[in-house]
Amino acid sequence: METPRRTAADRVACLLVSDLPLAAVLRAQPELVGLPLAVAAGTGPRAEVLAASAEAARAGVRPLLSIVHARALCPGLHVRAASPALERGARSTLLDVARSLSPRAAEVPRGRGVYAAEAAVHLDASGVNALFHSEQGFATALVARARSVGLPAVAAVARSRAVSLLAARSLLRAARSPLRAAEGPRSPADGDERDSSDTLVLSPDAEMAFLDPLPLDLLDPDDALADALTRFGIRCVGQLRRLPRRALVTRLGPGALPLLALAHGEADAVPLPGAPETRVREEIDLEWAIERWEPLAFVLRGLLARLAERLELRGLVSSDLDLELLLSGGGRDARRIGVAAPNGDPRALLGLLRLTLEQVPPAAPIEGIALATEGRLARTDQLDLFRPAGPTPSALGRTLGELEALCGSDRVGAPCVADDPHPDAFAQTAFAPAELRSPAARAARDFVALAALRALRPPVSAEVRAPRGRPEWLRSAVANGSVVGLAGPWRTTGHWWSPERRFAFDSFDVQTEDGSVVRLRFDLLRRLWQVDAIYD
Amino acid sequence: MAPSRPVPSSPLSISARALSSRSGLERVLRDLGPQIRRGDAPALAPGRCPTGIAAVDALLDGGFPRGRLSEIVGGPSSGRTALARALLAGATRAGEVVGMIDAADAFDPASAADAGIELERVLWVRAPHVHAALRSAERLLQARGFPLVLIDLAGAPGALHSDAPTAWSRLARAAAGAEAALVVLAGRRLAGASAELALEMRPRRARFTGTPALLEGLEVEAVLARTRRGAEGRAARIGLRVADPAA
Repeated sequence: METPRRTAADRVACLLVSDLPLAAVLRAQPELVGLPLAVAAGTGPRAEVLAASAEAARAGVRPLLSIVHARALCPGLHVRAASPALERGARSTLLDVARSLSPRAAEVPRGRGVYAAEAAVHLDASGVNALFHSEQGFATALVARARSVGLPAVAAVARSRAVSLLAARSLLRAARSPLRAAEGPRSPADGDERDSSDTLVLSPDAEMAFLDPLPLDLLDPDDALADALTRFGIRCVGQLRRLPRRALVTRLGPGALPLLALAHGEADAVPLPGAPETRVREEIDLEWAIERWEPLAFVLRGLLARLAERLELRGLVSSDLDLELLLSGGGRDARRIGVAAPNGDPRALLGLLRLTLEQVPPAAPIEGIALATEGRLARTDQLDLFRPAGPTPSALGRTLGELEALCGSDRVGAPCVADDPHPDAFAQTAFAPAELRSPAARAARDFVALAALRALRPPVSAEVRAPRGRPEWLRSAVANGSVVGLAGPWRTTGHWWSPERRFAFDSFDVQTEDGSVVRLRFDLLRRLWQVDAIYD
Repeated sequence: MAPSRPVPSSPLSISARALSSRSGLERVLRDLGPQIRRGDAPALAPGRCPTGIAAVDALLDGGFPRGRLSEIVGGPSSGRTALARALLAGATRAGEVVGMIDAADAFDPASAADAGIELERVLWVRAPHVHAALRSAERLLQARGFPLVLIDLAGAPGALHSDAPTAWSRLARAAAGAEAALVVLAGRRLAGASAELALEMRPRRARFTGTPALLEGLEVEAVLARTRRGAEGRAARIGLRVADPAA
């Protein structure tokens, strides 16, 4: 039987964020949106500006200025150090946005030079008309979804990954260029569709006409190739495309081939990957070490909100949390926080983190934090017509998590009768009322009031007088005095094949003169008396 | 005094025409609101959580009140645990999920199953000490959906903190908000005025019969030590059978 082969998508979208260092900081600190902000490559006054917000740019702040110079130009400038951790989170979030709208998506390899600060993803845009009415609608939805998670992006749809990336870059260039901006959007007659400056859809027959006037630097050639082409007087993509391929490779070497492929807008042979991972990770480097809970809670709240936001994009919620703390002095504190049921509420997850950190505080001030989790489907509740409504899955999940943090993960669950002959054996299983069926109807007259057994864990040792092998007097923490009622013994043995676990007890039901009725046992192996339960 | 709105004497008097319009449906829902039940809801006395032990239910006017804090107190072999298990059995057999906060770590699943408790409907929280038990109970009540929460503090490790009175009143308020019956099982009364009622259990005698002797059962007495309604001091005798281990 022939295995179906995946083929490359015939329509590809590119979602592109231009200034990633700036976007990553604004995503983590949304209170800075609308303020003059510069992201610097360090914290000192001589650090260089890497990116500036539009408000700062209007005041003259631009990349490569020193912070001192930038502050002189813009007195109210906010400066933040670029954070690789935040940038990694923003890149992953962009991929999550793509995967929330398309089953196949991949990150674009990092560019060079002026494109080093951009983050882009390619995603399969084949057949999106059925869901979004048009490719334009799809592109608009992509941009809107990226904006909803704090990433200002542009989107372009074309026949290949290369052309979609070039189209997205051209959108950004047009937005930045005062001259191009003044020209306004192109008309549909030009061969492309756009209803805003953030999206562009190229039909296959209009691609070449679109590519021809684009400047060569959009193709991101290396410096040597760019110099050589400039010397040849090649300045735009159309000029490059018209050159003979063999002669160009003979003169410039095989490094020119990928550039030619880009210029020709050749379709991709390798399909975009599917089956996305469900693990998400958010991290942050702190400029100052944190020692107290309040600032730590502030940072954790932001991390959890971003984590939940990314999971929500894929319709998932958080399972167990992996918390990693980078401590002052180079230490590392890694711990796993159990989440009893999948939960997407950042407040509840913060409560779990707090309980864990309160129980075992970190050994040193915290300089960096990373949180990761495996996305899980949220539990849904199907109401039963024949039984009362129980707790909602989300509330139950949150509560179970809190109870586990409070009492211990092995101390919360539904009881069950252990498959073990030892009298002290008991077991707990996961509590999942949503999976229960309606109870079997039983007649009320079946009910018989039974005396309960209160287990003593561990059993209480007892001093017993048993002159003829039968207890006559007893002293213990739970029952004392002469024995006034006695039944037994009943011998219980088990696990004889295991020297560590084997047991043999002679058990008695004993009533002492103080009124207590207890289950007393004689351990035949250890030769001692114990009270293991109270009849109550 | 405003004239009272006429209430249909029977649901059968509702005409199909009345239900055909939105306004008609809203009027019917308004008039019959308190009488509407969802599906085949368990036949519980309104606002009560019955134990299934007739003498105790009669003493408590139908069972432990929902939305209130109640206490079961008594010493060893007084039947306090049997009464609590009967309460859990009644609720789980009615299809409810219940919370069991066990600070004494004394819950025995095998004997609980014998008592008729559907174990999979019980959330068993083995709180390591009293303080954790009270916090756990508060969390469970805040989650809603647990119509019965039982806290077993009899013989539990750890002393009650100095803020215990505040904790009890907070728990009573949480029980009222969740409309859940909150029952505290302890050796002595702890909740004071926060408790709606307190049932004091006393041992009477143990019955040993046959040759060789077998423990057949316990006879205990339940005394209404505190109630906000009716007379205090009323008592009921209860016979508790010991489950046959061979059964």
